Amino acid sequence: MDETIAKYTTRKGFFKQYKKKSRLEEIWNRFLRNKLAVVGLVIFVFIILVAILAPLIANYDTEAIRVNVPNRLHSPSAAHIFGTDELGRDIMARIVHGARISLVVGCAAIAFALFVGGALGAIAGYSGGKIDDVIMRCMDVFLCLPDVLLALAIVAAFGTNLVNLTIAIGLAFTPKFSRLVRSAVMTVRGIEYVEAARAIGATNTRIIANHVLINCFGPIMVQVTLYVANAILTISALSFIGLGIQAPIPEWGNMLASGRVYMRDYAYIVIAPGMAIFMTILSLNLLGDGLRDALDPRLK
Amino acid sequence: MNMEIKKPNEQENTLEIKNLVIHYISDEEVVKAVNGVNIIIKAGKTLGLVGETGAGKTTTALSILNLVPEPQGKILSGEVLLEGRSVLAMSDLELEAIRGDKVAMIFQDPMTSLNPVHTVGDQIAESIEIHRKVSRQEALKQAKEMLELVGIPSERSNEYPFQFSGGMKQRVVIAIALTCNPTLLIADEPTTALDVTIQAQVLKLINELRQKYHMSMLMITHDLGIVAEVCDEVSIAYAGRIIEHGTLEDIFDHMRHPYTKGLFDALPDIGARRSELKPVKGLMPDPTNLPPGCPFHPRCDYVMEVCSQSVPENKWLSETHCVECHLYKDSNESMLKEVLL
Amino acid sequence: MSDVLLEVKDLKKYYKVPKGMLHAVDGVSFDLERGKTLGIVGESGCGKTTIGRAILRLVEPTSGSVIFDGVDILKLNKPEMRYMRRNMQLIFQDPFSSLNPRKTITQTIEEPIILANMIPDPDKRFMRVMELMDTVGLAERLVNTYPHELDGGRRQRIGIARALAMNPKFIICDEPVSALDVSIQAQILNLMKKIQREMGLTYIFITHNLAVVNHFSDDVAVMYLGRMVEKAPSETLFANPGHPYTQALLSAIPVPRIHNRPERLLLRGEITSPINPEPVCRFVNRCNYAIPICSKEEPGLIEIEPSHFVACHRVGELQKG
Repeated sequence: MDETIAKYTTRKGFFKQYKKKSRLEEIWNRFLRNKLAVVGLVIFVFIILVAILAPLIANYDTEAIRVNVPNRLHSPSAAHIFGTDELGRDIMARIVHGARISLVVGCAAIAFALFVGGALGAIAGYSGGKIDDVIMRCMDVFLCLPDVLLALAIVAAFGTNLVNLTIAIGLAFTPKFSRLVRSAVMTVRGIEYVEAARAIGATNTRIIANHVLINCFGPIMVQVTLYVANAILTISALSFIGLGIQAPIPEWGNMLASGRVYMRDYAYIVIAPGMAIFMTILSLNLLGDGLRDALDPRLK
Repeated sequence: MNMEIKKPNEQENTLEIKNLVIHYISDEEVVKAVNGVNIIIKAGKTLGLVGETGAGKTTTALSILNLVPEPQGKILSGEVLLEGRSVLAMSDLELEAIRGDKVAMIFQDPMTSLNPVHTVGDQIAESIEIHRKVSRQEALKQAKEMLELVGIPSERSNEYPFQFSGGMKQRVVIAIALTCNPTLLIADEPTTALDVTIQAQVLKLINELRQKYHMSMLMITHDLGIVAEVCDEVSIAYAGRIIEHGTLEDIFDHMRHPYTKGLFDALPDIGARRSELKPVKGLMPDPTNLPPGCPFHPRCDYVMEVCSQSVPENKWLSETHCVECHLYKDSNESMLKEVLL
Repeated sequence: MSDVLLEVKDLKKYYKVPKGMLHAVDGVSFDLERGKTLGIVGESGCGKTTIGRAILRLVEPTSGSVIFDGVDILKLNKPEMRYMRRNMQLIFQDPFSSLNPRKTITQTIEEPIILANMIPDPDKRFMRVMELMDTVGLAERLVNTYPHELDGGRRQRIGIARALAMNPKFIICDEPVSALDVSIQAQILNLMKKIQREMGLTYIFITHNLAVVNHFSDDVAVMYLGRMVEKAPSETLFANPGHPYTQALLSAIPVPRIHNRPERLLLRGEITSPINPEPVCRFVNRCNYAIPICSKEEPGLIEIEPSHFVACHRVGELQKG
């Protein structure tokens, strides 16, 4: 060993030459090569920025909330880029503030589902046997119910505030993630490099974290983005039927609901929120695909 | 009167491949899988096509039935003549008629060659129905006979593939291949996935059937032991070229090409326990980036300057034995003794 | 310090399946001396892979004992066993699926060193990895590559480097060259022999390829349906096989010669089921020499000459003349 040390340290720039480029840099480069994914990323970042900067773009109280009947149902114009709704409020302002709700609740709900469902799925998948059975049967109970219905039930029972909404939607998606992570874990668990890790003395926890889960990232990543899209849709659906975000708080779904009756003559009143939902979901899908490809070192 | 007298040989050749060049072309790279292959299989004879991974054997075999995967696989030049007729010029209908009928192919992995949702009897009968135009009953009856022929009790014709072991599945695959009495059987590593005692049984079966039906056979393998067991002639493939060809004697007793010699040297011999094996140094060339000149020259112990400059031409050392190597470019019989071995 | 590094006594591994008990390994015993190589040969279903895993406790044996360097490893608890693993490593068959595709080869080779906490300093550790790569013949410039960028032979060298990282005394090689081309097989086998000489390693070499095992092993054990049917020094086994299965196995190997081709002894039928086997000779329905007692009693291992064990009722009668 000393010989080796001597041999290598006398060579100039030895370590610098071999210092590995950060993994993140590599992943980022690969991601950038996928044009559609970059488009998705740009759109999504734009939406996030809009959500963050909402108060700067439009004043919440004066524009989004305050009823201004004389102003009602004005077509898009210079003053109101997307027009005004049936109560005279600026649609663009409402969309911009609505973005905050959709994004926050959507992401929080999925994060909840990912961690809880993912952990349960990983344990079930890696342990097998009775533990697997018990966990999965519990998840099956939840899976039987459609997402919206489950979220609806929880919200109806516990009240329609933001926290309840987040948890409700999170619980609806938890079993989906547990299934996904479980099957990914089971696939990888049987592969030889996991056995090799055991042979060199790795503990089970380390194996799951270091070997199994990092190889499951691909499918899980794509699903995360798709499910965030779904979650946002669910929020909108709940708001649409009145059990989500209550008026006058702007949310894309309840905007669609209240604008529905005016759709025929004042189409712009639903186009804007509809497009907002569409663009968000589209960008998330593209982003998800791009992420999956970028994370797989085999696809160069 | 100018009569074109067909050489008596040509009529006897079941298969003739001339100067076949096949590349897989994609946006990023060109895989030069086959680079000028010449193969002749005489009627009733078996040719062993020997080579390691990436030598182009499977691609060559697929071209015989015009099954090279498109759109990447492009046959850039060359001819494939089956009993004198050009396969590459045939229409789809004509090709369907000969596949399974005149030419049959068996693949390496018996696990995936059979459809898991049909009984083995059905799968054998399917081939009969397509090519012989008989009723379903008659086809199933003939299928049972085929099973007996390959050593499987005919009662098992109603069972599904998963109920058979690997060796038996391969026998079923052979039965399917032989139902229509093909003129040419292409066997692509048919026993590689099988245990050695089962391999012995299957090889014996193939030999018996081959003799019984006077079939010609193309046996693709990397195992020189199987070649010695089953083949009449041998072609050694390397980087998409046939670098040596001859009868069993020519290749086993009088091998000429350094790669052929390397293959034999690298084999552990049961009879002689040496302290070190003699592998061929280096690695197989990358088919997207073949070395200039002779593709084997970077690994060759006898390399000369000319080897990296030009591709050696095919040189006939005797009526049956040819080799592509610069060592023999100008040699005649008397010089051969000095060069190798 | 005793000469014997590994003592396996009556090792059994049974699996519970819907139809009953699957006897994967059914009472195998042997001793292995330091610095030697034991070849374990057999075809699919004979239990050779399972026994390799069982000896290392990657699957828990059902019963029996495995005494490594004086310690009965089956009695160790989890942390103790993890520590013991430094001494006993495994080289896998499939060079692709045995390497984590998301780790560079450096990270893969480094991991055992990290786990054993042998070299806390990352720079020194890196150099140890370079040293190992040099030992197995991997070029320096491959340091940051991923497994899928390399061919089978190089990937297998990574597997070997990983097994060597903790300086083990003992390595089980599970079909290490079966997935490789013939010309590469020879390279890897020569490498493994060289390492054995230089580092004083003890090997168990599991394979179905008899030609390779002859070249590589000092002793050979032949397995059939979970039992060891013959064990002898290599030369003896090949010159004078005692068990009918061994004889058939040897004669089944395709010989790359066209002159003096040996007579082929073909076996009838196929391997029987390892589930709920009867206490008779497992080979009886395929054996060309079976006599009534073979279907009634299971033969034990008999030493027919020094170090040469055969489990057959007719042993002695069937030797080559």
